Amino acid sequence: MVTKVRDTRGVRVFRVLNAVILTAVVVVTVYPFLNVLARSFSDEPSIRAGEVNLLPRGFNLRTYRYVTSDSMFWTNYRNTVVYTVVATLIAMAMTICYAYVLSKKHLRGRTALVSIAVVTMFFTGGLIPNYVLITSLGLKNSIWAIVLPNAINVFNLLVMKAFFEALPLELEEAAAVDGLNTYGILLRIVLPLSKAMIATMVLFYSVAFWNSWFTAFLYMDRSELLPVTVYLRNLIAGATGATAAGGSTTDIQISANIQAVTIVLTVIPILLVYPFIQRYFVRGVMLGAVKG
Amino acid sequence: MFELTRRQVLGVAGGGFLLALAGCSGDDSDSDQKLSDNRVGAMSDYKAGDQFKATEPLTFTVLYNNHPNYPIQKDWLFWSELEKRTGVKFQTTEVPLSDYNSKRSLILGSGDAPFIIPKTYRPDEEPFVASGTVLPVSDYLDLMPNFQDKINKWNLQSDMDSLRQADGKFYLLPGLHEDVWTDYTLAVRTDVLQKHNLQVPTTWEELRDTLKALKAAYPNSYPFSERFNQSPPTAPGGNLLNILGQAYGVNGGWNYQNATWDYNASKWVFTGAADGYKQMIEYLNTLVKEGLLDPESFTQSDDQARQKFASGKSFVISANAQSIVNDYRPDLAKVQGATVAKIPIPIGPMGPVRSGPGASRLENGVMISKKARDSKNFVAMMQFVDWLWYSDAGEEFARWGVEGVTYTKDGSGKRTLTPDVNMLDLNPQGTKHLQKDFGFYNGVFAYGGKTELLESFFSDEEREFQKAMNSRKTLPVPPPHPFTEEEREQATLLESPLKDFVTQQTVKFILGQRPLDQWDAYVSELKAKNMDQYMELITKAYDRFKKDHG
Repeated sequence: MVTKVRDTRGVRVFRVLNAVILTAVVVVTVYPFLNVLARSFSDEPSIRAGEVNLLPRGFNLRTYRYVTSDSMFWTNYRNTVVYTVVATLIAMAMTICYAYVLSKKHLRGRTALVSIAVVTMFFTGGLIPNYVLITSLGLKNSIWAIVLPNAINVFNLLVMKAFFEALPLELEEAAAVDGLNTYGILLRIVLPLSKAMIATMVLFYSVAFWNSWFTAFLYMDRSELLPVTVYLRNLIAGATGATAAGGSTTDIQISANIQAVTIVLTVIPILLVYPFIQRYFVRGVMLGAVKG
Repeated sequence: MFELTRRQVLGVAGGGFLLALAGCSGDDSDSDQKLSDNRVGAMSDYKAGDQFKATEPLTFTVLYNNHPNYPIQKDWLFWSELEKRTGVKFQTTEVPLSDYNSKRSLILGSGDAPFIIPKTYRPDEEPFVASGTVLPVSDYLDLMPNFQDKINKWNLQSDMDSLRQADGKFYLLPGLHEDVWTDYTLAVRTDVLQKHNLQVPTTWEELRDTLKALKAAYPNSYPFSERFNQSPPTAPGGNLLNILGQAYGVNGGWNYQNATWDYNASKWVFTGAADGYKQMIEYLNTLVKEGLLDPESFTQSDDQARQKFASGKSFVISANAQSIVNDYRPDLAKVQGATVAKIPIPIGPMGPVRSGPGASRLENGVMISKKARDSKNFVAMMQFVDWLWYSDAGEEFARWGVEGVTYTKDGSGKRTLTPDVNMLDLNPQGTKHLQKDFGFYNGVFAYGGKTELLESFFSDEEREFQKAMNSRKTLPVPPPHPFTEEEREQATLLESPLKDFVTQQTVKFILGQRPLDQWDAYVSELKAKNMDQYMELITKAYDRFKKDHG
């Protein structure tokens, strides 16, 4: 027989309050995004008059059409995808190797290796020396200028190192007894156990590379090499600047919602990736809770 | 045995290093006019009005400011025709407009800059002067006959003096205008004026009467609600205080400078304490008191002001030619029968003047990298820059393109775009765009020029406005007061606190938050902020310049 425990008054009050507050949080978080989405489809007079809230007014696709009709937009979008994928792969490989090595307590010079990494969190060479370095290495105007200099993020490295350190040493010992070498242990034992962490890191890295524009802006001298972030940034500057030339009706429409359209166009792909990675977060958190 | 100690080795190495340093600094001293090694490709006899043609094919590097409205294309007619006419090809470093200045600092700082660096606004060149990365172009003007010709013909010497650094040289080749050009003024709802039988106001006093009449007809409105509070350079009421200031003979709004040249007294006075400035504030204060000027006029965003204007809550607003076409007319499209137009700037106590006391005829300009001086093509490059940016033919080419292809010219010299080519909606049916498809009228290569050349692109309406403004008198350029390095340092320290204080108090006085009878107290507060000391610096520099240069 199932006895049903009735909730106390306190718990019920908490439930209601909890629901109200969380709903409010959801609204506060989602509203700006929906508003941006609505603006991106609205026409200029409605936006200027401040009439657009959750639903588009004067539905039209002119700004979308304008942005996507430029072949340079697609070239740069492709660049963004390529840069992000390559950069994330390199960054993951480098960070995993470095972090795994650092997680081994018997490694000699471990402190030195850690400090080498940590120093760069607080001190950098500075903009111009970096630029001179990249230029004299001949990396300018190539993908390597973007994907190599930022391959290891020290914060991610330390998180990963801590995660590897927390894995039970016995597992690796057992694997070694069964005949796996170091690489086998890393690839077949450690990494499969670290899916949650790897998913998180992939997300961190790819979002960072997807959104980054500054390195590309620094090292790329030709517009066909730029990522889409720089392209759209420039488009906004042109449409909202006091120097805007032209004056056709399309230009006016564009200046009204170019920012909204831009946000939608750049956010969507990364937004689509998120749900697939999300489940690893949940599992990872539960894993941590059960172990204790 | 002869053995070197470690200390000796270090000493020798250090000495060598010092020698190397000395060698480096020695290089500077011989930067005289010996250009015999730098003449490859140059014309031996290049004069003003000549067509520049390199004697062998040349390529010059240029920093290219990529405007998103007309992104750079390799197949532009501009490039191929330029090569045909001058034998010069550009090798571009493309920089997005959004971050042009950061990239310019970076590559100049790292020694990796292209030779030609256009689109530089004064005083952005100053940090590069200090770091020695740009060329003192004033040393090489003899290579630029068209530039010199225009300076003399258009009487631009005193304008150019304003560019001079403490060493007496200038480092920027600015765009040169034949005439002061007025664009910003007020716009009014002409249909509303008509409806109430009101004339377009010609003076500031008439404007006040017009506003009063509008207030009577629409008691719940503020007939005048102002914008341009956030447009760079940021200043509350940027345009209003500017054009009203020129009616009272002071530099106000986004043209505010601490010192104004007083034409009557022939001396420099402190702007924020000048009589004209006080009168200007009094005028605006009356408008606010009588409910004619929106109190939010000095704080609201452009969008807010535009919304009020679009919804008939206000009838007068600041404008330029573009904002009429791009902002107000589309905004008002929903209102039946609404019309809006620029009016000639209302006239004040200074009489019909065209511009304020500080109006300059210089535009943004070109810097030349110091490294270019060592190039064997240096002379050819300066001649080329002179042709493209400063010759009549070059300016016409950069703006209009190629005769017969992008434009035609009739007997009287009037240019017309060919029917298929559009620009500024002059040929709305045209399928090709002068900027986007041909690369002309490009902000990187076309600036300055003869008034006739600028006006050839105006609409009839705008030409009418220009005609009205051109009939007014132009104030002479105020005399220069170039600071020495030491004076400049002091002046810089004093300038911002004074300016900020004046700006802040101006708005308070206008809005009535501070009563006008406290004006004397305000002036003594200015004195406490070293106003007199600042004016002394200016006057000293002015007297010295007058003594030295007549």
